[in-house]
Amino acid sequence: MSGTDETPKVVFVGLASCFGCQINITNVEKHLMDVLGQVDMRYWQLTSSDPMPDSFDVAVIEGAVTTEEAKRTVRALREGADAVITIGACAATSGIPGMSTEDHAADLAAVYGEQVPDAAGAGAIAPCAVKDVIEVDFEVPCCPIDPYDFVEVLQHALYGSNIYRRSSTLCGECKNNERGCFYGRETLCLGLVTRSGCGARCPNLGRPCNGCAGLSPDANVPQARRVAERAGVGAEALGRALRMFNQRPCADEEA
Amino acid sequence: MLYRVMDASELPRLIDAFMEKYEVVAPVKSGRSFAFEPVSSFDEIVLDYPTTLTSLKKYILPPRETLFEFNVEDADVTDYTLRIRPRVLFGAHACDINALNNLDLVFEDARYPDPYYEAHRAATMVVGINCSPAGSCFCHLLDADEVRSGYDLFLQDLGGRYLVSIGSVEAANILEAACDLREATDEDRREFRRLTRERQEAFSNDIPDIQEIPMLMDAFHKDAFWAELGERCLSCTACSAVCPTCYCFDIADVLDPDGKTGRRERILDACTSPQFALVTGGHNFRETARDRVRHRMYHKLNGFNSKHGRYLCVGCGRCVRACKADISPIEVLRFFERKGAEDA
Repeated sequence: MSGTDETPKVVFVGLASCFGCQINITNVEKHLMDVLGQVDMRYWQLTSSDPMPDSFDVAVIEGAVTTEEAKRTVRALREGADAVITIGACAATSGIPGMSTEDHAADLAAVYGEQVPDAAGAGAIAPCAVKDVIEVDFEVPCCPIDPYDFVEVLQHALYGSNIYRRSSTLCGECKNNERGCFYGRETLCLGLVTRSGCGARCPNLGRPCNGCAGLSPDANVPQARRVAERAGVGAEALGRALRMFNQRPCADEEA
Repeated sequence: MLYRVMDASELPRLIDAFMEKYEVVAPVKSGRSFAFEPVSSFDEIVLDYPTTLTSLKKYILPPRETLFEFNVEDADVTDYTLRIRPRVLFGAHACDINALNNLDLVFEDARYPDPYYEAHRAATMVVGINCSPAGSCFCHLLDADEVRSGYDLFLQDLGGRYLVSIGSVEAANILEAACDLREATDEDRREFRRLTRERQEAFSNDIPDIQEIPMLMDAFHKDAFWAELGERCLSCTACSAVCPTCYCFDIADVLDPDGKTGRRERILDACTSPQFALVTGGHNFRETARDRVRHRMYHKLNGFNSKHGRYLCVGCGRCVRACKADISPIEVLRFFERKGAEDA
């Protein structure tokens, strides 16, 4: 770690997002001071108006990159930080802002007309994930993040860890909850192709997976389309559902 | 083996007697299916359940288990006592008891016994019950439809009465204290044999009976069939999650939120997970889904045999239902059947 003080200096930056993931970090509640006690929190707009410091060790980024300005911001964070952590689906996959990536110019025109105001972000670009712009060391997935996942990843960045993040998809974790499968009920569920790790908590609450953890790098989308087709859900519905959190990979899907 | 007969109406008393000292886990209705869960009364139990979503493995090999706790500042292990609740696993089918017996061969190995597994197993009683095969059952093809050991009691429903096979002194004492028992008569034994034949004939004929499966696995190791399965595999690991005999695990050191203390956890893993055979340095010994699916089937139908003389797969059919890509040992048996027909 850089700097004279031993305590790692951390900055939090919010890009295009609802800031819900940053808020959710405070939901570790009784552990919050224990967590913050391990770092020197230098910049967090949600808690303080102090300006961004010149030097820091860990940069935590929420949100998608949607402007040229945001691109410059994340590049500067990469330059300054030993470790970059993204939190949430917007940062990891472009998430909700990414829904407008495919037809971005038309979407902008529909909202703003011919002249996009600077207030909408200086130099609007088609939304992309942070990892599309800079190298990202750690990702905390999901919408919103699980605050304990964030603590685990932060500690991984600070101390190292032997916890390995798998790319297997969700159904295995879901089986452990013993809730049965949505596909037997003609209901679309993105667990077939979504990266595991969340414990299948939505299906466990009776709601199908909407893919917020992101498409697994080992997802077998063609097979998932066959499953959806056979279950009477339809492959098109699967593709449409993937667009909510997985705009980028979905665009490559037909390739 | 000691046999006794009891009236079916006595069964709630047996459950009540178990509940005095044990947590009773039994099959209950769960959504559209069934699951093994702790019960608080006999009425919750579904005695004639076809199968459950997951197996009894979760009570012996939990999906996550703390092995010990540690203190980061001292870099030392702290005292940790594994807390195990004495349990009765009630209503296990023969395949599932055979599955536990298979796990015993691995975790109660004479040279490297696993103390956590042994502690769970020692505190657990198993009460089996007869079943009628569901459409996805193929235990009879893998010599797992009958069970000769590994249970404390095994109940065979003879219609209004149970023929009870007694496998342990502990269970016998509870049974004798709770229920009125009588000797089995010739009539009971005749009925038992009739029902056994009836059960044997009830298995689906759609699943081929293949001889010399381990040898065929070797003979067709490089067949394109495995690539077909690999192309379908969703890499979801549902097969391993529901499997009563998949026991592979990962080890992780999990820090508490303050970063000062933590636990070493055993987390059940799956060889169908893409990173399962990834090693330091970045090499993955089974990089493709084809390799992973093939490996899993080999362990179930070939590798375990060569070491322990029986199939690791017990034909319970859970993966048949769980896999959304139709990958299961049944597909392997059908493949061998096709190959046999081609050769003929």
